[in-house]
Amino acid sequence: MFSSPNRVIVVLGALTLTLAWVLDFGVIQPNRIVAGTGYGLGEALGLVASVTFSVGMVMILGLGAVASRFRYSLLTAGLLLLLLVLPWGLALFAERQLPGSSTYARTAMGAGFWCLLFLPALMLGECLQRLRAGRGLALILLALVLTSWTLAVTSGDIDSLSILKEYAARPDQFRAALSDHLALALSAVAISLVLAFVLALMMVRRVSWRRPVFGVVSFLQTVPSLALFGLLIAPLSALSATFPLLQQLGIQGIGWAPALLALIAYSLLPMVRNTFVALTDVPPTLLEAGEGMGMNARQLFFRVKLPLAMPVILEGIRVTIIQAIGLTAVAALIGAGGFGTFIFQGLGQAAMDLVLLGALPTVLLALVADAVLSALASTMRSAP
Amino acid sequence: MAIWRAPLTWLVILLASAGLMPDLMPVLFPGQASLVYQRDSFLWLLQHHVMLVAASASVGTLLAIAGGIMVTRPWGRDFLPLVSQIASIGQTVPPVAVLALAVPVLGFGDGPTVMALLLYGLLPVLRNTLAGLDSIPAAVTEAARGMGMSSAQVLIKTELPLAGRVILAGIRTSVTINIATAAIGSTIGARTLGDPVIAGLVNGNTAYVLEGAVLIGLLAITTDSLFEALERFWARRFSATPGTV
Amino acid sequence: MIELKGVSRRFGEVLAVNAISLVVETGEVCVLVGSSGCGKSTTLRMINRLLPSTAGEILVDGKNVCDTDLQTLRLNMGYVIQGTGLFPHWTVARNIGLVPGLLKWPEARIRERVDELLQLLGLDQEGFVDKYPHQLSGGQAQRVGVARALAADPNILLMDEPFGALDAITRETLQNEMLRIKQQLGKTTVFVTHDIDEALRLADRIAVMDQGRLIQYDAPEAILRRPASLFVETLVGSQDRGLKMTGLQRVGDAMQRHLHPRPRDLDKPGVREHETLRQALSLMLWQGTESLPVMDEDGAEIGIISRAQIWAGGH
Repeated sequence: MFSSPNRVIVVLGALTLTLAWVLDFGVIQPNRIVAGTGYGLGEALGLVASVTFSVGMVMILGLGAVASRFRYSLLTAGLLLLLLVLPWGLALFAERQLPGSSTYARTAMGAGFWCLLFLPALMLGECLQRLRAGRGLALILLALVLTSWTLAVTSGDIDSLSILKEYAARPDQFRAALSDHLALALSAVAISLVLAFVLALMMVRRVSWRRPVFGVVSFLQTVPSLALFGLLIAPLSALSATFPLLQQLGIQGIGWAPALLALIAYSLLPMVRNTFVALTDVPPTLLEAGEGMGMNARQLFFRVKLPLAMPVILEGIRVTIIQAIGLTAVAALIGAGGFGTFIFQGLGQAAMDLVLLGALPTVLLALVADAVLSALASTMRSAP
Repeated sequence: MAIWRAPLTWLVILLASAGLMPDLMPVLFPGQASLVYQRDSFLWLLQHHVMLVAASASVGTLLAIAGGIMVTRPWGRDFLPLVSQIASIGQTVPPVAVLALAVPVLGFGDGPTVMALLLYGLLPVLRNTLAGLDSIPAAVTEAARGMGMSSAQVLIKTELPLAGRVILAGIRTSVTINIATAAIGSTIGARTLGDPVIAGLVNGNTAYVLEGAVLIGLLAITTDSLFEALERFWARRFSATPGTV
Repeated sequence: MIELKGVSRRFGEVLAVNAISLVVETGEVCVLVGSSGCGKSTTLRMINRLLPSTAGEILVDGKNVCDTDLQTLRLNMGYVIQGTGLFPHWTVARNIGLVPGLLKWPEARIRERVDELLQLLGLDQEGFVDKYPHQLSGGQAQRVGVARALAADPNILLMDEPFGALDAITRETLQNEMLRIKQQLGKTTVFVTHDIDEALRLADRIAVMDQGRLIQYDAPEAILRRPASLFVETLVGSQDRGLKMTGLQRVGDAMQRHLHPRPRDLDKPGVREHETLRQALSLMLWQGTESLPVMDEDGAEIGIISRAQIWAGGH
């Protein structure tokens, strides 16, 4: 195979090596509020580990400079190894630097650590692409890395990590937040899916519906989330005050009711757009062929139109779920629960670790939803 | 110029609402105490909100377009898969999470908000710049080079005008998200129209919430209709199909 | 004059063009012909340095193209490609005025030149200059593409399968247009096509290429009469070679001329002087006659062409 330098690997590798040494790998905090002291790579991990890492990184750089297919496999293995041992680096850091005396003292991940996580992950992506690896290999590698992290967390070696300490202080709240967040986002998506499907069908049948429906749903999308949540409070509390039945159902000015309404409103645009496009974009030749072979309207819809429209509708669901997960975090401001609660509580108390406990799972949820639905859509596309 | 009428109308409504809100609320809800958010004037908050968004959007747009151009030139093409991957994965991260994560790194206030808006707002513009440049038929750039245009001329006279509408749509998305995110920026200490809403939520004062929410909504609609007009203007000026959108 | 001396181009491991040498004399039309992937387009694109050559040198009027400033080089070479490459956001007038504009001609002169070219290509209808490319038919767009290439009166014309995407009828019309422009302007032209009939029709010399190599470089007649290899023979079609040959020759060269033009017998079908022997033969077959009268532009009979004369020319 023809070999040439891979500038992406070289640049990212050099950046990783530099930032890992320049920025703090970890931080030791005396308690949850006070800012801690940072430790560079050498201090944090000790001579042996930091030199081993640097030598490895230089080798990766060298491999990137004269890349070939075989060397890309080596690079992939090397980068995977780095991502696998990363959580154990935190354990080593805690063991070396955490004062044993104080129960309040905690470790936190420094900027250098985040660089060590993201830049090699990007390099890994580049290698996988050069190897023309499918989604399967990427998912296996991701599973390996997640396993390593899970092992590190359950081993207790990184219990001192600030975000885990925050979790340890409120495991029940965390579980409630997770279920609230998922319930709110998923039910909004499910309801809007049904609504959007009906709307899209009507728009397919009646041309006169198209402009006004698109007009309304795009208008809703334009209104900022905070404004829409806020605008729903007054009318909902008025309704709830007038009709006691609603109050018994838990529908009030604040809480899950306005949040769900707003989330559905936001979900309509991507869902309606994709479903409509999916249903109208079926090649007319296929429909004619089906019709010509004697299918009736019902069979045409369920056997031709819908299966062909599925991948595009799934793409709509993917966009909508990602958006709903993000907006649900904002909905915590009006008391709807979810991970946003931790974010805004943390911001209010200037407790950054609590902010992380809310923000990281939100990001993770969005990424997982993206990965799962992309995989689903691509298998559906390749299926006959 | 009929296309500018809608954004101008919305602008007038927005400014009038911001200016007259303190006088209007007691008329609408007579007999209620502490109806009007007093800490800052609405006009000042509006101005500050717009400034935060404008600052982050302009810098972010410039960076994103420059980046998009760089990775589509022959010497930067190695980085194209990486950059487009970052642009699409980055948009998966919720904006409120970016805002929250900016605090541990940068602290509270306007600065971190602008940084978060800038970083997040970069992504849609970057993605659309790449998509717009990619959608140009190869024959067009090939012919342009073959006829003797320099690389800069190819970029300025053909690639950017042809990609312009898609890029503009990216900027529109980015600004829309940024207006919404800047409002939430109130929770990390930025001074925006989100302030009355947050204050209202904290104190259980629905009037404050309403005032802030109406103004944020109006600002978003005004901006959106401005972009709508801009897109039409661009289509008229540079597109192959004048008059249509 | 364009000279290629041992020019090669390598893509990774593949040698797309392998040590090609040929000379295109000033005013000549050289057609590169071969199946797709044979390196003909690559060769063309090395002449205006859209691709750098890996080995060998290319001289234009005795000067190495690599020593010429890239923009100057290209501005002096008209370039037409398949699918036209017209700028979709520019009107016909702006598209044609592209190169003169790059050369900083004054506005008025550009406008004059655009009108001149539209006339040359038969596009001088009212309001045509203000149309956008998507409003043109395939044939019109390609004509505008040719006009754009000719705009600054370049010495050299490079054409990369310009008529490849057009239907048969439009293609033939444009080929005729090319022949007319060739006679009127006499540009040194390098023309790439995979269509051997197009090559035979337009070329002064044909370069047959296969797998990056130049197999034969000769006049159309010589290619038909003495194919250098089995590949060339297959390409020109050994079966209907004879017919193709008659397509290269004009009635005027083979006919027997009357001393004085005679008034024409209107019932008898006839051919014209500039038509090919192939057309004459076809008409004879159809009419079941042994000979046909030849007319001039005014319709007077100036000579006669017989089957025997076609036979003589076909050998």
